[in-house]
Amino acid sequence: MALTIGQKEQRAPAGDALARARQRAALVPDLLVEAQRIANTVASGWHGRRRRGAGDTFWQFRPYDQSEGVSRIDWRRSARDDAITVRDQEWEAAHTAWIWADNSASMLYRSGQAEVSKQSRALVIALSLAEVLARSGERVGWPGVTQAVSARNAAERIAAELVVSPADDTAFPPVQMIRPRSELIVVSDFLEPMADLRERMEAVAKAQVRGTLVHIIDPAENTFPFDGRTQFIDPELDTKLTFGRAEGLRDEFRTRFIERQEAIREYCRRLDWNYVLHQTDTSASTALVKVHTLLSGVLA
Amino acid sequence: MSLLGLTFGAPIVLLGLLALPVIWYLLRLTPPRPRLEIFPPTRILVEITPKEETPAQSPWWLTLLRLAMAAIIILALSEPVWNAPDKRLSGDGPMLVVMDDGWTSGANWNVRRDAALGVVEEAQEADRPVALALSSEGALANINPGNALAALEKLSSIEPKPLPSDYDALGEKLAGNDIFSTLVWFTPDVAPDGLETFTKAAEGLEQVIVFRDETRNPTAITDVANAPDALTVSLTRPLNAAASEGTVQLLDIQGRALGVAPYIFAAGDGVGKAQVELPVELRNDVARVVIPAEQTAGAVHLLDERFRRRIVGLIGGGNADRDQPLLSPLYYIERALAPFAQIRNARSERLPEAAEQLISENVSTLVLADIGTMQPDMRERIAAWVDGGGMLVRFAGPRLAGAEELSTTGGDLVPVMLRGGGRALGGTLSWDTPQPLARFEDTSPFAGLPVPQDVTVSRQVLAEPDAELPSKTWASLEDGTPLVTAAPSGEGWIVLFHVTANASWSNLPLSGSFVDMLRRIVAVSNGVAGSGETQTEASILPPLRVLDGEGRLTAPGAQVRPAAISSSSMPNLTIENPPGLYGTSEAFIALNLFKAGDRLAPLDASALPSGAQTFSLVAEDPLTFKPWLLVAALLLLTLDCFAVLWMAGALRRPQRFASAGMTALIFALLLPLPDAQAHAQAQAQDSEITDYDYALRTHLAYVETGVEELDTLSRKGLEGLTQFISTRTSLEPGPPVAVDIGRDELAFFPLLYWPIDPTSPVPDDEAMARIDAFMKSGGSVLFDTRDQVEGGFGKGVVTPATLKLREILSALDIPPLEPVPDQHVLTRAFYLLNVFAGRYFDGQLWVETSEVEDDLEDRPARAGDGVSSILITANDMAGAWAVEPDGSPSLPVISTNPRQRVFAYRAGVNIVMYTLTGNYKSDQVHVPSLLERLGQ
Repeated sequence: MALTIGQKEQRAPAGDALARARQRAALVPDLLVEAQRIANTVASGWHGRRRRGAGDTFWQFRPYDQSEGVSRIDWRRSARDDAITVRDQEWEAAHTAWIWADNSASMLYRSGQAEVSKQSRALVIALSLAEVLARSGERVGWPGVTQAVSARNAAERIAAELVVSPADDTAFPPVQMIRPRSELIVVSDFLEPMADLRERMEAVAKAQVRGTLVHIIDPAENTFPFDGRTQFIDPELDTKLTFGRAEGLRDEFRTRFIERQEAIREYCRRLDWNYVLHQTDTSASTALVKVHTLLSGVLA
Repeated sequence: MSLLGLTFGAPIVLLGLLALPVIWYLLRLTPPRPRLEIFPPTRILVEITPKEETPAQSPWWLTLLRLAMAAIIILALSEPVWNAPDKRLSGDGPMLVVMDDGWTSGANWNVRRDAALGVVEEAQEADRPVALALSSEGALANINPGNALAALEKLSSIEPKPLPSDYDALGEKLAGNDIFSTLVWFTPDVAPDGLETFTKAAEGLEQVIVFRDETRNPTAITDVANAPDALTVSLTRPLNAAASEGTVQLLDIQGRALGVAPYIFAAGDGVGKAQVELPVELRNDVARVVIPAEQTAGAVHLLDERFRRRIVGLIGGGNADRDQPLLSPLYYIERALAPFAQIRNARSERLPEAAEQLISENVSTLVLADIGTMQPDMRERIAAWVDGGGMLVRFAGPRLAGAEELSTTGGDLVPVMLRGGGRALGGTLSWDTPQPLARFEDTSPFAGLPVPQDVTVSRQVLAEPDAELPSKTWASLEDGTPLVTAAPSGEGWIVLFHVTANASWSNLPLSGSFVDMLRRIVAVSNGVAGSGETQTEASILPPLRVLDGEGRLTAPGAQVRPAAISSSSMPNLTIENPPGLYGTSEAFIALNLFKAGDRLAPLDASALPSGAQTFSLVAEDPLTFKPWLLVAALLLLTLDCFAVLWMAGALRRPQRFASAGMTALIFALLLPLPDAQAHAQAQAQDSEITDYDYALRTHLAYVETGVEELDTLSRKGLEGLTQFISTRTSLEPGPPVAVDIGRDELAFFPLLYWPIDPTSPVPDDEAMARIDAFMKSGGSVLFDTRDQVEGGFGKGVVTPATLKLREILSALDIPPLEPVPDQHVLTRAFYLLNVFAGRYFDGQLWVETSEVEDDLEDRPARAGDGVSSILITANDMAGAWAVEPDGSPSLPVISTNPRQRVFAYRAGVNIVMYTLTGNYKSDQVHVPSLLERLGQ
């Protein structure tokens, strides 16, 4: 019997994924979520946002304005000359980022051309993002598993919680705990019906949450290398489909598969969300860097 | 069940063909198994409307293939046979089967028996009583018809007999019997004896069926003759046969092939010959001659002592022979005859007794070297023996030349009348020059031998000219005088060489021609046709080995009886005395199926009973389809496997990973090979320091005691000494060699260092014999008891090592010993020394006493060149010499003198130089006194 092209992998343990995630995270610089996105209401963080505001660090001296309270005057500075000067601090605030990776059965797929399963790769990307964000002082949480916390070891905490939390099959993160004006990063293969996906995205977007979708695909899903008489089994629905000549389906399938990606991308654009496509035969760092770039607003 | 020549063995199985539609239905319903692929985006595939219909059924051609396969298997199981044998019997009533089991039947016995079984089975089906008669049974045949089953059983158990067929008795028996309606006769392949009676009797029957193998053309060996130039095998076969050819094979007593010769029969030829040119030495080993292609008793000819190597008796005249053995005529004759004849010497001094003894030993040739006058009784004895077939070869000589009676009476045990005295050629008083040999006449037994150009005859005895002389001359000189004459006498021959058998009259005995001539003469001799008693009286000899019907030598069965055999009369061949070897394994007589001159007659169609239906014994082979059909089904199955694989796509997907893995695997398997080979070669080279290396380079050697520490110390010690010698002297020895005295060749080593280990066993006698030989042929052994600290050697103290040394030396022949005296060569050989130190300082070195020996004959282990073959020390020299690989000494020396190690090395150098140079250095010791003597 010829070997199958793809197989179902064991679920990657979160602990292992964390170690790999840290390696990846070490390769990218600290991630500062673009300042203008950050709500004023959020708790203070460590990082200066390069504008005046509440914080501990000196930012600038400026002339006193009548409208300001007297208590804001920096008397020591004002005593040096005639002008009355106010001391401004740099605004230091933390952003909240919710990170979620799909853990469903379809994510466990790995073809011969990829080195890891989609789930493993998704977990690595998610945790490395968590690591990078936490390193920058952002509040990081995993919807349904942890609260958003501002802690240096947030990624570790998430990993620890993931180990004990039961594997769920949901295709989209639970959004109840996500407060407005925070970031949501979803790493998944987005194989659920397009209508469902849109509905959920819309719900999240309405809550003024900006999303970033990292679409993980296996190379076999992209190239469809099957031929001969083949029975396809859906790992989630257990649908079985038998084709006499699988190679005849290749073009049709690829067209549809790419159409689907484009549809998601287009919808993201409409919601002003970020969309990153990642194939598991490339390095996890490529996806990480892309997400990093998009979140830090370099391209914006 | 039969259909157009096609017969089915199991027609019921054909009903299975009815199941084909069911199989078709099942096959259509069972599509090939798809490859299972987990594929997450199957949801997208669901959306795709399949462009092609997913085959829920096998493609039609696959179904057809499988149906064909099923049909073929069913057909195969029904055992179809093409051309099955027909019915041959007609009528009813008892049937007589006459089976020929004579000697020709051995070659095709299985075919014969199968055909007979077929006929009897046919009779069994027709419920006919059957009687089975064998040609070998003759009058004893039971021709009362009985159950066919009994005939079948008898047929299965009988074997062919190595005997000629005789139908006389059987014919008479058949003639007196009229109950049979059918006769089935399996004929022999040649015309048997007594056929007329049988044929006549058979003609009265209702149906006569004859089975014969017309293709068979039996060939038999009638005689094997040991001609001088070649071994001739006479063959015969039925006259009318077409041209044929084959080979005969000569086997020795153990069945090994000694030679092969081809034979060719022209068409219509009944007699043929095969010639094997075989050295006489090998001919004597031939025990039987066979035609390998024929498996019959007639194609085997057994040979016995009469064929074998000739026995030659030698009688010489005078005792001068014994004084100068190398000049004795008998010496030349013996050397010339030894390769191909067995030589018996006279044991008695007295000639009559010697002649009597040799004749009674059944010599075939008697050589008398220069015997002139014979006593009458001896002469009569020899004459009678010659008349009985003996070959007398006489050589001339002074005594024969001087014998009165030969010249007067003539013809008395000489082939020609001789003139008294001899003829000298090329002497001082003769004009003639020594004569060379003339060409051998074609009628002579020597015909064809090359004429030696360098042989000359300077003296000979002359024959009286005679009208018969030329016909009696076998060889002559160039001037026409006979050199060898011969005359038949009775059954035997008398041959006279007119020269001596030694080199005094001619140099003929020195040439190779002498050997050839004697060989021819001995080959002419008739063999031991026997001495008087065995010739006349038959002796009863037990069977030793007998031939079976297929020409194999087997142990005699229970029915074989001892045979009364004499050399003149052989017993008739019966079932009780089949062909074979009779006698004991030392002396046996061969009884063969055919005698020289026997002929085989063909079995003509006219000799068969008239009106007989003739069938070929070898029926046209029925063609059985079963195996072919099964093979076809198997091929279809293979095809089906490929088709299924192709449909599953396994044949098209590039097997990238698999092939890469396979390549890697192959490399992994291949890569270590060169390495391993190189390793093996290196090992082989390591172990191949052989005699060659030892012979090219001097090596110091030590005896392996088996104690590892001691052997290591010896090796290190000799390494140290080797280094020292290489740096200080012009001698550069090779690396030290460990010697196993029981196994290794010792001749290469001038000096053996032998440390004594009190715990090791004494080497066995063989090893000690080798040491003894080593010492006597010039080698020296340095024994080291290594126990000076306990008392040492030669001080009256008996240490364990000394005891062990004594035990070892007790097996050797050792001369008296003494401590190295002053002025001994050892003290001068390289360094001037007065002590021979090792790790201990004060032990003495003992050597052979250097007194002049006078008894050469019984000399002890005293080596040549004045080198003592034995040296004994107790100072543990190897311990002092031993160095580690870094050059530091292995062991401390037991002394306060810091130079003691140097002394030890110097002692070693002196010992090695002493063993290598011997008395050269001893001469050097005397140089001052020599110079003084020269007056310088």
